Amino acid sequence: MREQLERLKQEALRAIGEASGEDALQEVRVRFLGRKGELTALMKGLGALVPEERPAVGQLVNSVRDEIETGLEVAQQAARERATIERLQSERIDVTLPGRRLAIGTKHPITQVVEEVCDIFAGLGFSVAEGPEIEHDWYNFEALNFPPEHPARDMQDTFFVEDNLLLRTHTSPVQVRTMLKQKPPVRIIAPGTVYRCDSDATHSPMFHQIEGLMVDKGVTFGDLKGILTVFTNQLFGQKTGVRLRPSFFPFTEPSAEVDIACVICGGKGCRVCKNSGWLEILGAGMVDPEVYRHVNYDAEEISGFAFGMGIERIAMLKYGISDMRLLFENDVRFLRQF
Amino acid sequence: MKVTYNWLKEFVDFDLTPEQLADLLTMLGLEVEAMEKLGAGMDDVVVAIVEEKRQHPNADKLSLCRVNDGSGVLDVVCGAQNFQAGDTVALARIGAVLPGDFRIKRSKIRGEESCGMLCSEKELGLAEESAGIMILPGGLKLGQPVFEALGLKDTLFEIGLTPNRADCLSAAGIAREIAAKLDTRITYPPAVIVEVSEAASDMISVTIEDSDLCPRYAARYISGCRIAPSPEWLVKRLNALGIRSISNVVDVTNLVMMELGHPLHAFDCDRLAGRRIVVRRAAEDEPFTTLDSQKRTLTADDLVICDAERPVALAGIMGGENSEIADTTTNILLESAWFRPAAIRKTSKRLGLHTESSHRFERGADIGGVIRALDRAAALIAELAGGSVAQGIVDAYPGACEPMPISLRPERANQLIGIDLSRTEIGRILSRLECTVLEQPDGALRVTPPSYRVDIEREVDLIEEVARLNGFDKIPTTMPKARVVSDRPSAHQRMQRVVRDILVAHGMNEIINFSFTAPDAADKLLLATGDPRRTAIRLANPLIEEQSVMRTSLLPGLLETMARNVNFRSLDLKLFEMRRIYLPTGPGEMPHEPICIAGAFTGSREREGWSHARGAVDFYDAKGVMENLIELLNIGGVKWVADSPEAYYHPGKSCSIVAGRERIGSVGEIHPTVQESFGLERPVYCFELDFEKIVSLVRQKRTVTAPSRFPDSTRDIAMLAPDDLPAEKIIECVRNVKAQEIEQVEIFDLYRGAGIPEGFRSIAVRVRYRSYERTLTDEEIGVLHGKVVENLVTKVKVSIR
Repeated sequence: MREQLERLKQEALRAIGEASGEDALQEVRVRFLGRKGELTALMKGLGALVPEERPAVGQLVNSVRDEIETGLEVAQQAARERATIERLQSERIDVTLPGRRLAIGTKHPITQVVEEVCDIFAGLGFSVAEGPEIEHDWYNFEALNFPPEHPARDMQDTFFVEDNLLLRTHTSPVQVRTMLKQKPPVRIIAPGTVYRCDSDATHSPMFHQIEGLMVDKGVTFGDLKGILTVFTNQLFGQKTGVRLRPSFFPFTEPSAEVDIACVICGGKGCRVCKNSGWLEILGAGMVDPEVYRHVNYDAEEISGFAFGMGIERIAMLKYGISDMRLLFENDVRFLRQF
Repeated sequence: MKVTYNWLKEFVDFDLTPEQLADLLTMLGLEVEAMEKLGAGMDDVVVAIVEEKRQHPNADKLSLCRVNDGSGVLDVVCGAQNFQAGDTVALARIGAVLPGDFRIKRSKIRGEESCGMLCSEKELGLAEESAGIMILPGGLKLGQPVFEALGLKDTLFEIGLTPNRADCLSAAGIAREIAAKLDTRITYPPAVIVEVSEAASDMISVTIEDSDLCPRYAARYISGCRIAPSPEWLVKRLNALGIRSISNVVDVTNLVMMELGHPLHAFDCDRLAGRRIVVRRAAEDEPFTTLDSQKRTLTADDLVICDAERPVALAGIMGGENSEIADTTTNILLESAWFRPAAIRKTSKRLGLHTESSHRFERGADIGGVIRALDRAAALIAELAGGSVAQGIVDAYPGACEPMPISLRPERANQLIGIDLSRTEIGRILSRLECTVLEQPDGALRVTPPSYRVDIEREVDLIEEVARLNGFDKIPTTMPKARVVSDRPSAHQRMQRVVRDILVAHGMNEIINFSFTAPDAADKLLLATGDPRRTAIRLANPLIEEQSVMRTSLLPGLLETMARNVNFRSLDLKLFEMRRIYLPTGPGEMPHEPICIAGAFTGSREREGWSHARGAVDFYDAKGVMENLIELLNIGGVKWVADSPEAYYHPGKSCSIVAGRERIGSVGEIHPTVQESFGLERPVYCFELDFEKIVSLVRQKRTVTAPSRFPDSTRDIAMLAPDDLPAEKIIECVRNVKAQEIEQVEIFDLYRGAGIPEGFRSIAVRVRYRSYERTLTDEEIGVLHGKVVENLVTKVKVSIR
C-alpha cells in the first residue's frame, strides 16, 4: 500500500511536470484527485488494512494528496503566467503606425498674441477696453492733438468713409473714449483692429494694435519705463534688454520709441534688426496736456502715460515670420502650425 | 534727411566714430535709419606713381607700365593714354573690388602680365563719365588708400525725422543737436559779402499784401551773374544728398537749404515786371504754370509771389516757369521768406505738389534764420557766378515774430519725468539747446526757445527737452504706486475667448480676413434686393475695388478662404472666423459693429489614416458643433427651425437657430450656385451666429444634479414613421410622458430602403430608465414603457415594428 502510494505520488508529479498547460493540468487533477481518480481508488483499499495500520497509512494518503495539490497549484500558476506571456506576445502591434488623431483646431496667431499680451497686462492691473473701428475724425485725430492740416497726419495714411468718419488708424481713440467715460484712476489696455492705406511685405491695410493707458496722481515717465520693462521681459524673456529713445507722437509728450534687444541675434546685429542690435516694438510717452484738455481732465492734478504696439510685429518676431501677408492669407498649412 | 559725417564736422567739433555718432543721434530722437560708408571696401585702391611707360609689344592701344605703390614695383597693362611716367595714379591692387562687384585679378593681356589696374574716376564710382585714368595730385603718400588720401572717406547717415523737428532738416540743425549734447556750439558756414554801392532798395521792391500768411519776405539783388555749371565740389555734395545739379545759382539755393534748412528761391530779375515782388493770395481759379511746366489752377487759399503784373512763384512750394533762372540770366532777385505752415501744407496737399521747400515750410522754417540763409547764398552766388551783390537787404517784416518766453517749474519737470534735477541743472540743459533762461523769484524758469524751435510752445515741451537731452537712460525705472482699478473682463470679453476655445476644441482653425470686401459679395451670396446686408459702408479711398466696402457678412471671406486653400490641395477644412461686421445706421450716427461667428466645413470629417474609412462632412457636422457650443455656453430653449432661412443655403438642408423668440443664427449647406460662384467643387456646410445675442442669452447660473446611484434599464423601440414627421417630434413625444425616470432618449438607428414602404423611414429609439430613489422593477419599467409606446402610436401616429 505504502509502495503503491509512493508510486502514485511519483506518477502524479511526473504527470504534472509533463502537462503542457492549464487544460492538461486539469486532466491530471481529475486523473489522480477526481472522484474516480487513482488516489480515490487507492483510498478505497484503506478498509482492507489492519486497523493499527490505518492511521499511519491514512496520514500518508493525506500527505500524498497535499503534495499533489501543491504541485498542481504551483504548476497551474506557472501555466497561467506562461499563458499570459504567450497571449501578450501574440498580441504585439506596430506602435510606429500613426495614432488615430482628431483634426487639430488652432487660434489665429494674432488672437494668441492679443490674448497673451492682455493676460500680461491683466497681471499688472490693466482692464480691457474697446472702441469702434469706424471712428470719428475727432476721436482718431483732433482729440489726440492732430489738428486739421497738421503734418503729423501724414504719419498715418487714412481710409475715409464719409461725414468725418474714417477707419481708425490706431487704437488711441479708445484712450479718449475711456477718459471721457471715466475719471482717474484709469488703467486700461485696448486691443483692436486698425487700418492704413498701405500694402506691401511689411505693411498691411488692416492690422492690429494694443494700446495702453494709465492716468493717476503722480504717474511718471519712470513708471512708464517700469511697466514696459516688466511687460517686455514677460513677453520676450527675463533678460531682454529694453531701451527708450526720444520720438514724437502728437498725443504724448515726452514721447519715446521703445526698442528691445534683437530677439533673433541677441543684440549682436543681424538682418532682422538691420545690424543695429535693437528692434522697435512700441511707441509710448506721457499723455499730452492737450489730450487731457479734450477729455476734461486737469493736467495739473494728474499725469499718465500711454503706449501702443503692433501685434503683427510681435507675432512676426515671436514666430520668425518674415512676410506679414502670411498672417492674412489664412492658409491652413500655416495656421495649423500655431 | 541725409547728412554726412565729414560735413557735420564742418559745423561742430566732435571726437566720435561714425558708429558712436549714429548712436548719439538716435538716442537724441534723430533716428539713424541707415548708414552708408562711402569708399568702404576700397582700401585696395592705393596711391601709386608711374615709373616707366612703354608701348605694349602686341597691341597698339595698350601700354606697359611699371608702377610703384610704395611696397614695390608692379607691371600693369593700361589702355588709357592720358598719362606719363611720373604721374601719380590710382592703382587697384589684385583683390580689389570696384563698384559693380568688379574684382581685380592677376591676368595676362595679349601675352603681358598685369598685376593690377590703373583706375578712372568712373571706375571708382566718383564720376558718371571720365576720359582716361584719374591723375592724382603729386605729393601723396604712396600705398595710401586713394579715398583716404583724397579725403573721400565719409559716412552717409539717413536720418528719419519726426514731423515736429523741422529745425533738423539741415546739416546745421543736426549739428546743433550734436553740439547741445556735447555742450558746445556750432560754427555756421561763412557768408562774407562785398556789397557794391548800388542800393538793393533802388533796384527792387517788396510788398506783402497778406502778412498773416507771409510775415516776412527778405530779398537781395545780385547783378552781372554768369549762369554756368557748378564746380565739382558742389555737384558732388548735392549728388551725395540725392539732389541733381542744375546750374551754379540754383545749386547754391539748394545747397544753402540743405546746410541751413531754409528754402530760398532765385528769380531772373529782368523777367519780373516792375522789378517788384508782391505777396498776395491768388485769385479764385487763377492759372499758373510752375517750373515743372505743369499748368495749375489756384484758389484764394493759395499764396503766390507776384511781380507787378502776375504770379511768378507758388509761395514756399515752387517757382514759376515765367521767371526761372535761364542760361541767359544775369540779374537775380534772391528770396528768403517765411510762410505760414498751414497755408503751405494746404496748397501743397491740394495740388499734390510736395517739394523740399514745401516740406520745410509746412513743418515750420526759422523766421529768425531768414537773413543768415540769404547772406550765405548771396555770398556763394557772388563767388561762383561772379555777381555783384547790391547794398542792403530789402526786408519786409511788418510785425516782428519773436519766440514767446515760457514758464517752467522745475518741480513739475522732476515730477512728470521721475527725476531729481536742480533748477540750475535744468537751466543749464536748456541753455545748451540755445534757449535763453532766466531764473524767476517764484522758483520757476523763464525760458525763451531759439526761433528755429517752432515746436517748443509749452512747459511740457521744455520738460520733454530736459528729459531728452539729459538722456532717457538716466531716468530711473520705477513701478507705479498701486491704486488697483482693474476690472474683471466683461462677459462680452470672456465669452469671446470661451467661444473660440470651444470651436478650436472641435478641430476648427481660426482665420482672420480683411474687414473690407468686394462690392459684389452680396450678389455672390444671392441676397434679395431689399436685404439690409446689401447696404454696406463704402470707403472713399479704397486701395483696390476688391477691398472697397466694409463687410456685412463673414461668409464671403470664409468661402474665398476655403477656395484658396482647396486650390493648394488642402481639401479637408474646418474654418471659422469671429470678428466684427459693419452695418450702417441712420445718417449722422455711428455704424453698428456687432461681432459675428461663422464657420465652414468641407471635405472629409476625419484626417486621412490607415485605420478607418473617411466620411464626407455633412449638415450634421456643422449642426453638431452648434449643439455643443450652445450646450457648453448654457443657452436654453434652442430650436432648429426648418424655415430655409437664407438664399445662400440649400433650402432643404438649412435651418434657423432660434432661442426663445430670437433668431440667433443659422446652419446649412451652401447653395450649389453660391458654392460654384466661389469656385468650390465640393459641398460646403456653414453656420453663422450672432455673438452679441449669444452673450445676452448665456445663463451664468448652472444647476447641477448629482447622478443617480441606482442601475439603469434600457428599452428599444423600432417604428415606421412617415418621412415628413420630424425626428424632433418623436423625441418630444417620448419626453412628454414627463416621467422623472426617463433619463435619456436617443435615436440610434435610421433606415430607409428595402422592406420599408415608400414615403416612410424606420426609426429606432432607445429610452433609458432610471430612478433617483430605488432600483426600478421590470413591472415598473414595463408600465412606463407601455405609456411611451402608446403615446408614440396615438400622438405622432407611428407604427411600431
